[in-house]
Amino acid sequence: MAALAHNRSAGPIRRALSRFFENGAAVAGLAILVPILLLTLTYDLWWPYRPNDIDLLAMNRGPSPTHWLGSDGVGRDIMARLLQGGRTSLLVATVSMAISTFIGFFIGAIAGFAGRLVDGVTMRFVDLAMTLPPVIFLLVLASIVGSGIMPTIFVISLLSWPVLSRMVRARLLELRERDFVVASRGMGAGLWHLLIRHGLPNTIDILVVYATLQVASGILLEAGLSFLGLGVTPPEASWGNMLNAARATHVLENYPWQWMFPGGALVVTVLAINFVGDGLRDAFDPRSELK
Amino acid sequence: MHRRNFGRLLAAGTLFLAATAMMPVPAMAQAGKTIVGGFDVGPGGFQGNFNPLTATAGFTWLNTYFEPLVIYTSDLSKLTGALASEFTVGQDNLTYTFKLVQTNWHDGKPFTSADVKFTLELAKNAESGSIFAARLGDIASVETLDERTAVVKLSKPNSAFLSVLSQVMMLPRHALSPVPLKEVAKSQWWSTQPIGTGPFKFVKYVSDQYVEMAAYEGYRGGKPKADRLINRYFANAAAAVAALRAGEIQFTFAEPDDAKTFKGNGNFRIIEGDSYVVNYIGFNHRAGIWNDPRVRQAVMYAIDRNAIVSSLYGGAAKLANCGYVAPQLLPKGLSDYAYNPQKAKDLLAEAGWDKINGDKPIPWLTYYNTPQVANVMAAIQAMLVQVGINVVPRALDVPTYNGIARSEKWPDFPLVYAGLQNGPNPASLNIGLNAAQIPPAGNNIMRVEMPALTQALNTAMGETDPAKADAKWQQVCKEMNAQLPWGPMWVASRYGVVSGKLRDFFWTPAPAGGPFVSHPEKWDIAP
Amino acid sequence: MLHYILRRTAVGLLMLLALTVLIFTLLRLTPGDPIDAYVNPSVPMSAADLEMLRTRLGLDQPLPVQYFAWLGAALTGDFGYSIQYNGEAVLPLVLSRIGPTILLMFSALAISVVIGIATGIFAAVRRNRFADLSLSTAAFVGISSPAFLTALLGLYVFAVILRWVPAGGMLTPGAPFSIGDLLAHLILPATLLSIGHGALIMRYMRSSLLEVLSQDYVRTARAKGVREFWVIVKHAVRNALLPVITLIGSTIGIAIGGAIFIESVFDWPGMGLLMINAVARRDYPVIMCATLLTGACVILVNLLTDIAYAAVDPRIKVA
Repeated sequence: MAALAHNRSAGPIRRALSRFFENGAAVAGLAILVPILLLTLTYDLWWPYRPNDIDLLAMNRGPSPTHWLGSDGVGRDIMARLLQGGRTSLLVATVSMAISTFIGFFIGAIAGFAGRLVDGVTMRFVDLAMTLPPVIFLLVLASIVGSGIMPTIFVISLLSWPVLSRMVRARLLELRERDFVVASRGMGAGLWHLLIRHGLPNTIDILVVYATLQVASGILLEAGLSFLGLGVTPPEASWGNMLNAARATHVLENYPWQWMFPGGALVVTVLAINFVGDGLRDAFDPRSELK
Repeated sequence: MHRRNFGRLLAAGTLFLAATAMMPVPAMAQAGKTIVGGFDVGPGGFQGNFNPLTATAGFTWLNTYFEPLVIYTSDLSKLTGALASEFTVGQDNLTYTFKLVQTNWHDGKPFTSADVKFTLELAKNAESGSIFAARLGDIASVETLDERTAVVKLSKPNSAFLSVLSQVMMLPRHALSPVPLKEVAKSQWWSTQPIGTGPFKFVKYVSDQYVEMAAYEGYRGGKPKADRLINRYFANAAAAVAALRAGEIQFTFAEPDDAKTFKGNGNFRIIEGDSYVVNYIGFNHRAGIWNDPRVRQAVMYAIDRNAIVSSLYGGAAKLANCGYVAPQLLPKGLSDYAYNPQKAKDLLAEAGWDKINGDKPIPWLTYYNTPQVANVMAAIQAMLVQVGINVVPRALDVPTYNGIARSEKWPDFPLVYAGLQNGPNPASLNIGLNAAQIPPAGNNIMRVEMPALTQALNTAMGETDPAKADAKWQQVCKEMNAQLPWGPMWVASRYGVVSGKLRDFFWTPAPAGGPFVSHPEKWDIAP
Repeated sequence: MLHYILRRTAVGLLMLLALTVLIFTLLRLTPGDPIDAYVNPSVPMSAADLEMLRTRLGLDQPLPVQYFAWLGAALTGDFGYSIQYNGEAVLPLVLSRIGPTILLMFSALAISVVIGIATGIFAAVRRNRFADLSLSTAAFVGISSPAFLTALLGLYVFAVILRWVPAGGMLTPGAPFSIGDLLAHLILPATLLSIGHGALIMRYMRSSLLEVLSQDYVRTARAKGVREFWVIVKHAVRNALLPVITLIGSTIGIAIGGAIFIESVFDWPGMGLLMINAVARRDYPVIMCATLLTGACVILVNLLTDIAYAAVDPRIKVA
């Protein structure tokens, strides 16, 4: 496919990329995101402190030349925890995004294309999944699998996909009645062909918008779950459980560096991901050429 | 209309909507002398429970409208009469005689010995949903000599009887006797129209928001100074602290760190008190890795308790070398297990820790979900890693913790960080350490089976002479210190914060909320 | 159409049944029962007393027996008694929480739908201009902020520091009911809650409208000289609303479950708070009833959304 694309006058991917790089916000997003990723992935090579090193003689210290971002309630280095927390949060968010996008698209697309019976059954299944109360779901999972990173990923993925399914299905239902799909189906195209050749390109905008927002909401959900004490459990660092410190008024007031840095990192990262996603959406939209 | 104008219209509309949405609405002022507090916030509270027979905590609030026969004094040092003007124990240690005060229920009917008989029989009967049934199981009979005298006979001596009785709130026979026994626990009476004999009478409960009381004019201690008393509910202590600072409530329990922020603030008064809960590292004696006493000692030597108390507790905790910290219960010659990581390593090496467990992660459970305990556990985790014990803290909610402890799957809870009430009555510890109290009989969830300790506990429990009791409890302390059924850590302080507007307000962080003498009728609020 | 609705209703009932089985099983897989939730482990309690309570509540019965006992009673409208709330009957308890939740959620939803759709259209029309960029950035920041953090900060700033609004709760304790008091308590949580929804709706509206504006029939309409305002309102917005309706629909369904974070930070006595408390205390009857009710709402709203689709886009045949 790639070779074929390159043989054409200017490949669609190359054109898409050049459109992407013309988008200021998207490039800015990328410019923020890449350093964040690099820092979180490599911090143990260049930063002297480990995220779980305690120092009872340096508790609740503000930012200083030794602890750049200060220290927390047991004297752990905020910088180290911030970067380790970023690693955890991004891992949770991206993996759960991938899982839920995959499930969401396939279930939605199958419902949209495979005919009324399958549609009815699948959508009722989606409805059922949407009715499950997240708190209970999470408690049960945490007790069966143990709380931590894996259950959190699992829960976030399983909570998120139904919305996407409904949106994909909505788009494809409309498509199903369009001439080119009817024609394609008339010519004996299989379900797989329909999904990949017609379903995917026609829902790519939904998928990309969803996927970017899902990384965002994955990070946010992880933070929220940790806030309820159901997500990544301390002493393992995540942006969510670092933010949890703000729950105590005295931390909120007196030690702002303990929640402002993870809060800021979280908002900036999500913002950057959203900008990139938005840029991708515009760039890969086949119709944007016509504008 | 042009595209541009359309845009302007939308923008204007949006702005307008946003402006109306953001408009601040002035808060309502309140009338009358009203005291609002978070009386059921924190470990001593029990929000949403109105039935004293099913109360495991929350007695501070229940005691504003119900009263027991006997009650702890405000310093929790001894029991004194409440609805019993005097009480005497017979020579046989089996007969308790209560002389009752002259008073009326909130509805005007007199309080008599028939109510005492009714209440004790109700509380003794598990059919009523009472959680006092087993603890009051020794009651053989309740007799009413006359309207003002009740005599309780026990089937065997029980040194904890009066202390249990202090939590049994007297209930009106005339209101509750028509309710079938099995319906008592789910009767609407408790949360809609309960009547007691206390200084305040029940007005209403607004589900999950607050309970409202009004002054009981006929209270025998005099008409309460406040017209209304409101107990506001909060999802957590931090929310209550926010409401306190916003001036909406005048009192709440506060986490230690939050309480500190009020220091030096003239508008508030901080109340500090003993929690009467000893925190310990619990070794599951059936998990198979703590059998060697040298391992348990190593855990003690590896932890720098002084550093933790001075830094994380700000000095507001007493180190415990056995289950007690009260001076009269401590014998001479206790080992203080002073911080000595090298000794810890040596002990582990001698015991062959490599073969017992090595550096395999050991789940370390707790039901404490406060930031302070999270920090404490992180600190201890780091200290234990230094000597080669790899524990992984995990905070659970209370039901999960209790459920796991009940499950008997030892590998799930080899180690806990927990607490147990150790006072005012030292006998409280018996339930967690006596071999006879291993579940399902009692609450010895760590499955401590140490014959010498059990022997010491039994001796102390059987001692009914208060003068000789202390020496018996010292023996218990000595056994605990030598054998380390648990790794005792400390007894921390608990805090309440009161608005400077409150006058003659009394509160103390008693276990389960007391009850204790607090004279709610004297509480007053400055305008 | 009637046939379709009837069939969907029947399927919905079956789903509710499946839901109760699922929740019942999940609940019992969770360690700890209502009695375990009763006692703080620091308080010495005799295990024998607790065991008696367990027997009294029938928690010692085999699971299928307990389930069918619950189902049998529930079918007659008896949802049992709450374990945590002193034996309050469950159904009135749960129903009493729907009011506050609907009030909170719909105020927030109304704010977010109006603002989200309006700004979404505006941003699409002004694509890549300053207004679009700043609105989009604001929306991005709105989506990017964790609800509980904005709630905590909002509470701290507006209630504790500025004292403009009360610090949580729904009504001033002890004060006589007044609309002003209710609104004063409502305004902050509703506004904070609308941020996330509003930003999300704005993004979908913008992206969907841009999609539509590039369609042939829009260009045809423009070419025919139809004025831009009418092109947008009559042709584009109507069609662009489709995915947005889906989004709002799914939001409404979930909305009945309550806003867990906002409700717990603001102590708003709605379904979210009820559910958190019920789970924390393992109050089985309340959890079952609340789940059933929220489940019914989600299913109902999804059904209505599907009908709305058919109404907005006649090309879709009801499946």
